Amino acid sequence: MGIPSNRDLLVACLWAGTTVMVVAVNDSLVLRTALGAPMVFLVSGHAVLRALGVRTASALEHLAYTVGASLAAGIGGGFALNAAGFLTPLGWAVWFWAVTTAAALVAVRRRDAPDLPAWPAPAKLRLWQGAIMMLAVLVATGAYALAVRDEAAYREFKYTEFWILPSANGESGRLTVGIRSAETQAQQFDLEIIVDGQPLAVFRSLTIAPGDTWTRQIPVPVLAVRQRAEARLYRPVDNRLYRSVATLVPPI
Amino acid sequence: MMPAHFIARTKINPLQAAIRFASAVIGPDLSSGSADAPSQQANSGWVAVLCLTVATALLLVVAGHAAGRRDYEVAPLFFWSGVVLLVVPTTLRAAQPMLARGERLFLLFLLAEALFYCKVVYSPTGFIAFDEFLHGIAADDLITARRLFLSNSLLPIGPTYPGLEILAMAIVDLTGLPLFVAGTLLLAILKGTFIGALFLFFESVTGSPRISAIACLAYMGCSTFVIFESMFSYESLGIVLCVLAFAVEAASKDLARRPRLKALGLIALLLASLAVTHHLSAAFAAIYFGALAALEALRRHGRLRTHARTVVGLTALLAIALPLLWVRAHGNTLTGYLGPVVETGFKTLIGKIVGAPTPRSEHLGALTQPVGMRLTTLLAILLLSLGLATGFFRSLAMASPSGARAGWRAIQDILSRNWRDSRIVLLTLLAFGFPVSVAFRLTNAGWEIGNRMGTFVFIAVGLVVAVGVVHFWQGRTPRGWRRIAPAVALTVIVLGGVTTSSLNPIHGRYRVAADQESIEPMGIETARWTKEWLGAGNRFTADRINRLLLASYGRQDARIKIAEGIYSARIFEGEELGPDELYALARSNIDFLLVDLRLSTAPPVLGFYFEPWQPQAGTPISGAELLKFDDIQGITRIYDNGWIIIYDMRGLHGNS
Repeated sequence: MGIPSNRDLLVACLWAGTTVMVVAVNDSLVLRTALGAPMVFLVSGHAVLRALGVRTASALEHLAYTVGASLAAGIGGGFALNAAGFLTPLGWAVWFWAVTTAAALVAVRRRDAPDLPAWPAPAKLRLWQGAIMMLAVLVATGAYALAVRDEAAYREFKYTEFWILPSANGESGRLTVGIRSAETQAQQFDLEIIVDGQPLAVFRSLTIAPGDTWTRQIPVPVLAVRQRAEARLYRPVDNRLYRSVATLVPPI
Repeated sequence: MMPAHFIARTKINPLQAAIRFASAVIGPDLSSGSADAPSQQANSGWVAVLCLTVATALLLVVAGHAAGRRDYEVAPLFFWSGVVLLVVPTTLRAAQPMLARGERLFLLFLLAEALFYCKVVYSPTGFIAFDEFLHGIAADDLITARRLFLSNSLLPIGPTYPGLEILAMAIVDLTGLPLFVAGTLLLAILKGTFIGALFLFFESVTGSPRISAIACLAYMGCSTFVIFESMFSYESLGIVLCVLAFAVEAASKDLARRPRLKALGLIALLLASLAVTHHLSAAFAAIYFGALAALEALRRHGRLRTHARTVVGLTALLAIALPLLWVRAHGNTLTGYLGPVVETGFKTLIGKIVGAPTPRSEHLGALTQPVGMRLTTLLAILLLSLGLATGFFRSLAMASPSGARAGWRAIQDILSRNWRDSRIVLLTLLAFGFPVSVAFRLTNAGWEIGNRMGTFVFIAVGLVVAVGVVHFWQGRTPRGWRRIAPAVALTVIVLGGVTTSSLNPIHGRYRVAADQESIEPMGIETARWTKEWLGAGNRFTADRINRLLLASYGRQDARIKIAEGIYSARIFEGEELGPDELYALARSNIDFLLVDLRLSTAPPVLGFYFEPWQPQAGTPISGAELLKFDDIQGITRIYDNGWIIIYDMRGLHGNS
């Protein structure tokens, strides 16, 4: 038995209208996802399917075609909005609203519109069955959370980043030197900066903890010729050159 | 002495017996199996227990990845026990002869989404496969620039087929979700839609939910189902649109005039979307609908003949014309993209068959997997072949109007161009693509063709194998071994889909030039450093993996060539930079060059560091080759983390 009224189309239009309003004024991720995701995958496609008057024999068939029609509406929207120079969040919301409303209007005017397929009766679940299914959802979600945590926590390579740049913001006469640690424990370094073989600055006993970044802007005299600036990082613990980086200081 | 009449009765001609036996096994006899049991209620108890089993299996898979990252020996034990626990009970249950349609469907969705979950937890916070990076970069560019058809130097054909990126952008813009989450949500929906559409397609063609469910299970044995079709890549969307179009067309086959034209409207929408989404899927749809129209034209008898022919012809016209029009409108980049792959693959396969000299790529050792994985793959191929052998004529017989008990007369009908449904005939013939795809997969150069063919060929393989299982292996009274053995065979086939999906499906330690196995946090952090300290959009060159990271996480303009006709591989190889290379580098506009010293620790797993078409390397590149830039005037090492070095090239061409 089908659904004889057009209530579904009214709901689709209201959904699309609400999505436009929320996208225009609200930044809530949860609210926008709750409204926007069904808009992209279902709502517009359902209206298009009804406008086309395609007869579906089962809920699965209707659902699959609805997703297909929604995907087609979305792809078409990309080209239309690109042509209009309106590929923005609001542009997308307006597009889906326009498609849904236009399709709903066509569907309402159809005299030979087929009925919607009957939704299958929900399976009868006993309490223990429902509890087991909830537990399954919890285990799967928990496993995903563990996977995310493990990926963030585990690092195969431990390293210290060391760099020198002509300047951080494009102004001449300055060098930017930086150290960042991705080691497992704090490390101590001595840092020496040399310009054309002449010492310019020295920093002793810099202690960099895991995750810390140390940076300095160092003034450097600008000459008429290009100079080579070099930064050397030493580890006092074994008194050896650990890293060496260099850059060119542009002339005046 | 035996009585004469007894001897005469038991004397059997061995040849006749063999023919009779072969005919009974592979012949078109449909009388031994009833396709569907009387409808019954779904068993919620079974469903609940299987949900918990699958969830436990997923936990084991996650534990397997975690152990793999740390190189623990228990990683394969965790991972594979998880996969077995996931696949075996669900497949055994879904393949049972007496099961409600709804329960079969639920189990298919559960299995497909659980396999998708396994793919996602390999890298649960970001895209990781090579193709995912290419499309992720394109989607990021689209979201940033808010313009279509932006050039993509890493995938030049990508901008011509922006369907996936458009949908990802729509989700990101409407929901505010990050691209990875939006992409994963899209892929999860696509996975479910694909299985639903495939089931509906088979159901429309065969009229049997049982055959449809088994056909879907057989499809899961395809090497691209578990990972490749779950990637953030245009084929994942293309195959869904393709199968949806098939499903709508098949469902409308018995409709009369107006309702059928309405269905054609939906098919047109789907085919138009497909034309701008993925070239190979669109080509397959064109081949399918074109061949269907040809078969309809050949067919002798049939109801609604003229109208049916016209609608199928119109569908074929749309399926062929829309992709061609799109290619014409956007310039033909397809030939340059697919041409060399197809040409080399065919040449190598033909060379192997006729014994001609084969390319150098064929002399390298094949990429190896653990013995258990290889055995499962081999067994799955054998079982699929057995299913095809027992299902081929039976599948053809299903299309015959003579009925179930017609025997070889059914095949005679087909040969006389007399069939009920052209779709069954076409799919049965398309199943011949399976041995061809396996043959391609046996060569290094043709592997790609064989792998991609599988995605489409398995639709036909699924049908034929399912018909074989239901009408021969399970038979009329599926009890005892007939009940268990076919279901076990299907679990092996699905497991084969997992074992063939990837060289190493368990997350392991870093490996050199091994695509997703080479992507780890240090490379990602270095790419992010470039964005933070150098700004976005600098012209970079590097090895294949770091180029992806620079372009995606670093938002840099990662170049494959340093100048027209000069690939970056040329400047990395050799202990000294030759005058030609130095000249090209000085004249180029490359700003930075990234060197990953880890490349010198082992030969490339996939055989190449930079591009697939470069000579295959059996030995590692040396540290001296990678560090030669230290000695060149004008080039400075601005970043060093002990493994990865970034050189500033601007001093070489006077920009600094």
